Amino acid sequence: MSYSVFNTKQVLDVVKYRWLWIIVTIILLLPGIVAMIYSSIVYPNHSPLLVGIDFTGGTIVQYAVDKDVTTKEIGDLRIKLQNNNIENPVIQVLKPTSVDEDSTIKNIISIKTKFSEEGQNETIDGVSQVVTADYPEAQLVQTNSVGPLLGKQLFVKSMIAVAIALLVIVIYLTVRFKLDFAIVALLALSHDVIFVMGVFSILGLFCGVTVDSLFITAILTVLGYSVNNTIVVFDRVRENLKFYSKKATYDEIVNASVNQTLTRSINTSLTTLLTLGSLYFLGGVTTRDFVLAMIIGVVVGTYSSIFFANSAISIWNSIVESKKAKLEA
Amino acid sequence: MKNKIIMFWAIVLLTIISIVIIKVKPIPLGLDLVGGSRIVLEAQTTETISTITQDMMDGLKSALENRVNALGVSETSVQQMGERRLLIEIPNISDPKLAREFLGETAELEFKKPILDENGNTKGWEASGLSGDDLNKAAVGTDAAGRWLITLEFNGKGANKFAKLTREFKGYPIAIYFNGDSISEPVVQQEITGGNAQITGEFSHDEAKKIVDLLNAGALPVPAKIMEENTVGPTLGADSLHKSMVAGIIGLISVILFMIFWYRVPGVIATVALLVYAAIVFAIFKLVPVTLTLAGIAGFILSIGMAVDANVLIFERTKEELKAGRTLFTAINSGFDRAFTSIFDSNMSTVIICLILYFAGSNIVKGFALTLIIGVLVSMFSAITVTKNFMHLVFGTDQLKYPALFGLKESDINEAYEATETKREKAKFGVLD
Repeated sequence: MSYSVFNTKQVLDVVKYRWLWIIVTIILLLPGIVAMIYSSIVYPNHSPLLVGIDFTGGTIVQYAVDKDVTTKEIGDLRIKLQNNNIENPVIQVLKPTSVDEDSTIKNIISIKTKFSEEGQNETIDGVSQVVTADYPEAQLVQTNSVGPLLGKQLFVKSMIAVAIALLVIVIYLTVRFKLDFAIVALLALSHDVIFVMGVFSILGLFCGVTVDSLFITAILTVLGYSVNNTIVVFDRVRENLKFYSKKATYDEIVNASVNQTLTRSINTSLTTLLTLGSLYFLGGVTTRDFVLAMIIGVVVGTYSSIFFANSAISIWNSIVESKKAKLEA
Repeated sequence: MKNKIIMFWAIVLLTIISIVIIKVKPIPLGLDLVGGSRIVLEAQTTETISTITQDMMDGLKSALENRVNALGVSETSVQQMGERRLLIEIPNISDPKLAREFLGETAELEFKKPILDENGNTKGWEASGLSGDDLNKAAVGTDAAGRWLITLEFNGKGANKFAKLTREFKGYPIAIYFNGDSISEPVVQQEITGGNAQITGEFSHDEAKKIVDLLNAGALPVPAKIMEENTVGPTLGADSLHKSMVAGIIGLISVILFMIFWYRVPGVIATVALLVYAAIVFAIFKLVPVTLTLAGIAGFILSIGMAVDANVLIFERTKEELKAGRTLFTAINSGFDRAFTSIFDSNMSTVIICLILYFAGSNIVKGFALTLIIGVLVSMFSAITVTKNFMHLVFGTDQLKYPALFGLKESDINEAYEATETKREKAKFGVLD
C-alpha cells in the first residue's frame, strides 16, 4: 500500500493487470455463451434460454399440497394426466420458503401443458380431476395461461424496450461523459446481462429453470444497477482527470479512482445483497428466480465496474495515445 | 443554522403528513398479492365485421364492465390495452371459472322465425330481426309448476317487433337462440302485444340466472377471445404478501445494522433518513395510487438499495474530506457536492431505463418501473435534504474531535493530507487544489 498524490491507499492495481482482467472477463462469459448456443440448437423453439409460457404460450396450473411429494408420485401423476387427455404435461414441485411452521403450503405442484384455443376450462378441470384424486387436500393456488401469439408479442416488445434503453443510456453517457466512457459502460453492462443470461441458460439446461416476463424485469434491473456502478467509478475518473491530469498519468488516475470508490462499491453491493438475500431466502416462491437473477447481476456488476470497465478504459486510452504519438511522429 | 432548523421542522412535518396518509388511505394491492383473476381478451373480426373500431371497443368494454359487475365483486377493473385488447381484473374471486364463462360469451339472443314448407311444416329457421338489442330487461321467474323460466321485457321497438312476429306466426313455432344454440322453440298461441315474453326450457336456476345476467349486461358488439388468463388463489397471494413483507423488514434491519456498524453516527442518521424515505415513498404510492404487486415490491426494495447507495457515497466522500483535515462543516458540504454528481448521473440513468420500461413494457414490468422511479427520485431528495441537514445539525461546524463517531481512527486524520499538495488552510475552506 502506498500513497500517491491522491488521498487514498492503493489496494488494487487494476491497470497493471488490465489485459488479464479482460481475459478473465471473457473466460467468465464463455460457459454461459456455450450454453446459450447449445440451447438454441437443441431447443425446438431455438431460444438461447429455456423460456416459460409467458413467451411460448401455454397453461400452468399449480396446486398447494400439505405433504411431501416423491419422484415416483410425480411420474405416476404424469401418466395419469396423459391418460386424461392432458398433452405433454411438465410437472415441477416448488418448495416454498417456510416463514411460519403452520403454513399449510408445504409443496406446490406445478403442471404445465399447452394453451387450448377453445378456452382453458376443460384443461384445468381435467388436471384438477387427476390431482385431487391423488391429493384430496390439494388446493388450486394459481392458474396461468397465455396464448402463443401474445407470448411472442411480449418477447418482441421486451426486446425492443431493452434495445431502446441501451441506446438512450449510451446517448446520455456520451452527453454527460464522453463517447469512450459510454461505449465501455455499454460493454460492461452487456457483459453483466450476458453473464446473467448465461447462468440462467445453464440453469435451464441442468435444472429446468425457465425464464418468464419477471426475468426481463430482472435483466433490466441488472442493466440499471450495472450502469449505476460503472457511472460511480467513471464519475470519479472524470473528476480526478479535471484536478490531477497534469500531475498524474491517465492510468494512475484510473487506478486511484478505482481505489477511492472501492469501499463504496463493496458497501453498496453488500447492502443490496443483504436485502436481496433476505428476499431470496424468506420471500415468496414466485419471485425466487427473479431475485436470484438480480443477486447474480449485482455480484457480476460490481466485478465488471471495478475490473473490466477500468481495464477497458485504460486500454482504450493507450490505443488513442499511441495513435496520436504515431501521427505526431 | 436558522435555515437548518426550519428545514428540520419541514422534514418532520412532511414525515407526519406521510404517516397520516399511510394510515388513512389503504394501499391497493395487486392480484398476485390478494388473489384474483386477470384476463386479457382480444376483440375478434368476423365475416361481417372486418375492422375493429374504437366505438366497438367502447361497446365491448361497457358490456364487459356490466358483466363483471354482475359477479358482485368489488374493485373490478376493465381497461383497454392497445387497439384490440381489454384487460380485466377481478380481485378476491372465489370461482375463476365463473368469470371465464361470463367473459368469453357473446350473449347474443335471437328470435328466429320458421321457414315453412308447402304443408305448413317447419323446415328451418331464419332471422326475424328481433334480438337481445330490443330488450329492456330480463329476470328469472318460475311457472305454476315451479320450473325456472326467464321473463323478458322488450323496449317499445322490441314490443312492436314481437307483436308483429307473434301475429304473423300464430299457431306456428318460433325459435329462441342464445349464442347460436336454440334454447326454446315454443308454439305461438296468440298475438302478444304487451312487450313481455317468457322463455321456458329445461333450465336449472344457475343456467337461467347466468343467461339473465348476460342478457342484462348486453351482448358483446364483437366476439372476444381470451388471450391470457392468470388466477392466483387467495392462499398463495396472502402467503406471498406475508413473506415479502417479512423479507423486506429483515432486509431493511440488516442494512441498518450494517450502516450503523460501518459508519457509526452517520449510519444512525442514514437510518433516520431511510425511515423518512420509506414513509414518503409509501405516501406517494398511496396518492398516485400505485397498485402494489410482487414486481412492485421488488422495485421498492431495489430503490431502498439505491437510497442506501446515495448515503454510502456521501459518507465515503465526507470521510475522505475529514481525513484531509477539513472541518466538519466543510467536509460534510464538499462530501455532498462531490458525491452528488455520481448520485445524479447514476440515478438519472436508472430513471431513464424505468421510463422506457414504463412506456414500452408489459404490465408486470410497468409496476416495477413505476415504483423504482418514485423510489429513486425520493431517494435523491432524502439524501440531499434529510441526510445533509441532519448531519449538519448533529455535527455542527467544529473540527472533528472524536473520529470514532465516523468510524475513523485518530491516526487517519490528517494522514492523507500530508501527501497532498493542497495547503491545509485552503483545504479548510473547501477549495480543492
